[in-house]
Amino acid sequence: MLTVETVQAAKTVIEISGLRKSFGTNEVLKGIDITVTSGEVIAIIGKSGSGKSTLLRCINGLEDFQSGQISVDGKPLDHKSAAAMRELRQRVGMIFQSFNLFPHLTVGKNIMLAPTLVKNKDSAAAQAAAVKLLERVGLSEKFNAFADQLSGGQQQRVAIARALAMEPAVLLCDEITSALDPELVGEVLRVVESLANEGMTLLMVTHEMSFARKVSDRVIFMHQGLVHEIGTPAEIFGNPQTPELKQFLSSIAD
Amino acid sequence: MTEFSYWDILRNLLLAGRWTVALSLIAFVGGGFIGLILLILRMSKKPGTETFVMGYVQLFQGIPLLVLLFLAYYGIGLFGIDTSPWVAAGVGLTLYTSAFLTEIWRGCVLAIPRGQWEASQSLALNFGEQLRHIILPQALKIAIPPTVGFLVQVIKGTALASVIGFMELTKVGKTIANATFNPFLVFSFVAVFYFLLCYPISLYAKSLERKMNVDR
Repeated sequence: MLTVETVQAAKTVIEISGLRKSFGTNEVLKGIDITVTSGEVIAIIGKSGSGKSTLLRCINGLEDFQSGQISVDGKPLDHKSAAAMRELRQRVGMIFQSFNLFPHLTVGKNIMLAPTLVKNKDSAAAQAAAVKLLERVGLSEKFNAFADQLSGGQQQRVAIARALAMEPAVLLCDEITSALDPELVGEVLRVVESLANEGMTLLMVTHEMSFARKVSDRVIFMHQGLVHEIGTPAEIFGNPQTPELKQFLSSIAD
Repeated sequence: MTEFSYWDILRNLLLAGRWTVALSLIAFVGGGFIGLILLILRMSKKPGTETFVMGYVQLFQGIPLLVLLFLAYYGIGLFGIDTSPWVAAGVGLTLYTSAFLTEIWRGCVLAIPRGQWEASQSLALNFGEQLRHIILPQALKIAIPPTVGFLVQVIKGTALASVIGFMELTKVGKTIANATFNPFLVFSFVAVFYFLLCYPISLYAKSLERKMNVDR
């Protein structure tokens, strides 16, 4: 748990204020305010359609938004500036539900591509980094494999390594185990947990409640486009305040 | 009145066949180049580009190739440029080919899952890098069979260039037919020539398609 001192010492990484986002006439985010400090692990839970994924996608600019502000490392997100977005996305990594590995490239090339293109790393350095990252996610023997030769869990671990290769300050995880067979969920969550333990700032939308409870510092419950309840895992899961959260928790219990 | 032997007919058609092949290549290379530029323009989503490319495609898909060739032939002349059948046929077929290839290739790009765009975008790749390293290599693989298939349409389309005096297979066939008074025989030969050009390409397109399905 964060003490007062660490809160003061910790650096704010993401600051979201008054964020509103509509798809046509359907407003999916209705004014979100969240501050994330460095090293914090935040789980976002809620029913489907509550705006969880949209919120994540706004943070790295995959979705535009109508009003409000998002800033990463103190720099405001500006959709109109390609250079600013390029810089922002180097600080914010994202992992998707559907892995989205590049099927025409080997695992190693998947990881090396962005560092060589965007960060102008020479290919020897990028390769060394990729080897190290694959080792970290337990897939060192898969450097020359293609995505379709890997299981879902392995693909997702490669996707994590690929995101880490950009050395992001924050990692956004959008339901990263939802497309996996149950027996493969554990291997991915173990990697995420090790990242959390190493101090990576994580924002994850998840349906794995026991995992959220175990690794997160704070849990956000979203409901109808708003942050409905926010607190420590103990507070959210142990002592829910609102009837909506109570109902949500009981609906996933059975 | 000279007698034409079978060999005379064949030899003349064979020589004319070169120009059919050459014109097809010009149309295909020119149309492919412009088609690719239009495709990239359209995908860039810069203001106005989508409307422009859509208009271009609709316009040149909506005009019969024959009329397009007439327009190219007489239209270029209107600007005071002395045009040859070569230039007019090249321009007309390039416009036609580019409009179709843009549409065919756009379909291939749309077939690439959105997640590929999003993943590459979230890795901070810019539009050009996304295209070059992620989207086009994958789209290219899907695009080969329909593109090769369309090449057959272009080869057959070059026959229309005969109306503006371009000496390709059909035009030469017509000339020989007029000289021999045996149009059925001569145009049978012409048909065989087109078939021999197009059939292997169709076969190749089919085999590519089959290979791709196995790959998937």
